[in-house]
Amino acid sequence: MLKLFKLLGNKKLFILLVGLILFIALMGYTLTNRGSISWPEKFTRDTVGFVQGVFYKPASYIAGFFEDISDLNGVYEENQQLKLTAAQYMMQQANYNRLVKDNERYKEQLKFTQNQLAQNKFDLHIANVTSVDNDEDTGTIVIDLGSKDGVRKDMPVISLQGMVGIVSQTSNYHATVKLLTTLDPLDPNSKAIAATAVGKENESFGMVESYDKATGMLTMTQIKENDPLAVGDTIVSSGSGGLFPRGMIIGKVVSRQVGDFGLTNTATIDPSADFKDWKEVFVVYTKEAQE
Amino acid sequence: MARRIVLLLLLFFVFIWEGTIVPWLIPDAMHGRLIPHLTYILILFVSIYYHRHTALVLGLIFGLLHDVVFYGDMIGAYAFAMGLSAYVLGLLFQSTKAPYPLMMTVVLIGSLLLDHLLYGIYLVFGLTREPYAWALGHYMFPNLLLHFVFALIICVPVRRQLEEVAKLRRRAAEEE
Repeated sequence: MLKLFKLLGNKKLFILLVGLILFIALMGYTLTNRGSISWPEKFTRDTVGFVQGVFYKPASYIAGFFEDISDLNGVYEENQQLKLTAAQYMMQQANYNRLVKDNERYKEQLKFTQNQLAQNKFDLHIANVTSVDNDEDTGTIVIDLGSKDGVRKDMPVISLQGMVGIVSQTSNYHATVKLLTTLDPLDPNSKAIAATAVGKENESFGMVESYDKATGMLTMTQIKENDPLAVGDTIVSSGSGGLFPRGMIIGKVVSRQVGDFGLTNTATIDPSADFKDWKEVFVVYTKEAQE
Repeated sequence: MARRIVLLLLLFFVFIWEGTIVPWLIPDAMHGRLIPHLTYILILFVSIYYHRHTALVLGLIFGLLHDVVFYGDMIGAYAFAMGLSAYVLGLLFQSTKAPYPLMMTVVLIGSLLLDHLLYGIYLVFGLTREPYAWALGHYMFPNLLLHFVFALIICVPVRRQLEEVAKLRRRAAEEE
């Protein structure tokens, strides 16, 4: 016991211990769901974010230039493909417009409330990535849209390929996006995404809730046994959780197996977004939450 | 004095480049396996060739900066890990006459120490569930290599600058 006191008498060790406790308290506090961040944090994030933006864009242009050169061979084929897709899109557009009109009319007849009508409305805002943190466990990217532009916490963020993450913190002119690669059911801040399969929206349901870093695959759980979900289906958000709007592409089903307890199935999903070489992303502005 | 400010600015810009330019230089195959902490390596040089207390403060400041700018889960993990490991390594190895092989060893130990501290913190707070052996092979060793190469490139000029600053400080102390 005396020895222990002597050891504690060492000033450096004492400071270290106090520091350790302070840091654990700080980490514990910031890990909980904080409403908004304090002004020194906002100020630091905006100034640093501004400087980062100055460097990130030229770097992405230069890297993109070399990428374009190496892609030159495939351009002709890609162009053909795109023309085909565009033609199909034009045809579907007409059909889609008619369906939307029909749908609106039905909703009116069924007397939907304003809230229900607005539920799945969203618009996309383009944002430039200003910097990237590759950390394996807490990977984030910083984008140049902030609370002054209307970005709020928990808004989903998508790229051209599919969903990439969720806004975790905002400052006035920048926001941090927590990537889907950090999805983890044990993490208190991580939010599972209610999902369904394209074309089977009414029959299929599951929760995309974890990402396996070793294989690079997402896991969808709580799929019912009689669910028609099959390998190769495209998984999109279902909108039933309320947090994420309907129809954001998450990935493709690679395999389906019986879950941990045998009652439900789980599916392995290959994410559509590739989580690297960030250029532009789109923030999905959802309906203002009722408070 | 001016030299010190320039060095501090350099540190800041290395921090900026770490998040903006370096991700573009990492080959696609190694994506997610190379997590550059270049600022930290520079701070290790400060710790050995200048003073461990300066390194502690720099580690805390730049770690906190990293935490705040890339705030995904929590604040404090990087500040704690960078400050502590820079200080401890300074405590063990600080010497203005440290030969380059010793410095390189410090970089190797430091790189591993930082990754282990971060892994430990994430494990305690439940942010990672990857087995230790996987983390070791997947990103800690590639990181080690990256940091070693970076340290090899910068070691000569950085050491010279830090020695100049240390000399100025000694002269100022003598004059008082």
